[in-house]
Amino acid sequence: MRTDEKVIQRVTGIQAADIEAALDPVEADGVYRDSRQCAGLALLSGGGKLLLSPPTPRPKKG
Amino acid sequence: MEQSGTSTRLQAAVQDLASGVVSALRGGDHAHVVPPAGTDGEAGDLALAAVRVLGADALLPGLLSHTPPDPAELAVFRKAVEAYPPRPDAAPTVRWSHWAMARTLRRADPSSAEPPAEPDTAWLDGATWQVLTHQLAVLAPLALPGEDCAVHRLAQHRPVDVARGFVRAVRRRDWRQAAGAGRWLTLLPGVPDTVGLESGLDFVELMGGQDPLVALQVQAARRMRMGARG
Repeated sequence: MRTDEKVIQRVTGIQAADIEAALDPVEADGVYRDSRQCAGLALLSGGGKLLLSPPTPRPKKG
Repeated sequence: MEQSGTSTRLQAAVQDLASGVVSALRGGDHAHVVPPAGTDGEAGDLALAAVRVLGADALLPGLLSHTPPDPAELAVFRKAVEAYPPRPDAAPTVRWSHWAMARTLRRADPSSAEPPAEPDTAWLDGATWQVLTHQLAVLAPLALPGEDCAVHRLAQHRPVDVARGFVRAVRRRDWRQAAGAGRWLTLLPGVPDTVGLESGLDFVELMGGQDPLVALQVQAARRMRMGARG
């Protein structure tokens, strides 16, 4: 580890690994929209040109 | 996943810096996007690390408006490039981020050292459209008008995959990925009109724009679209 890197690490606790982790993030877990947000999306899309698709089929209970 | 205090403080510093870039891209004050080099102590070092994480986008407002960077900003940017080179075993995105910074530094100050040789793109060979989009979104600072690098050329061959990835990111509410992918789509040829990119970017901003890292990519995309229209 170089001297300047040691100084920075001593003062802030920031290590190269922290920076590299920030620069190589794993993909965030998906969170799917609720119907209120879908409605907002529909309003924004105007002519229905945007990103709209039927809701994902869900298995029927029973 | 629980984050360390260091990681949390670094992320906060990155967000602060990104907020300044967003303000500058929106036409606000551009005087202090990058903190001056004289900032001492922990705040200064944290800011330096934040510049390294935000990468080449720290100088994006000047780059897009073709105005030379403030010398003090440039000095901090240079220090971040020199202080945090990628380690030998660094991930490709880390190496490309550093390369992009070195290249931006050279563009801003031709007296700077030549950027290192481009890293390779082997890790994206045969990548699924989901992986490709995620990695391109992480490397959004490379999405610049007139950029010519291996990642850019690779993206140009897969506009439909990036478009699919953009839609997927929106549906997953991964606003950072969606914003980064949207920035790439702004530049790529052959993007299907059915994606509805302009409305999509509006939606990403509406839903995720309170995150400065999302707002930065959306603003960058808008600025580049305006530039492309002349």
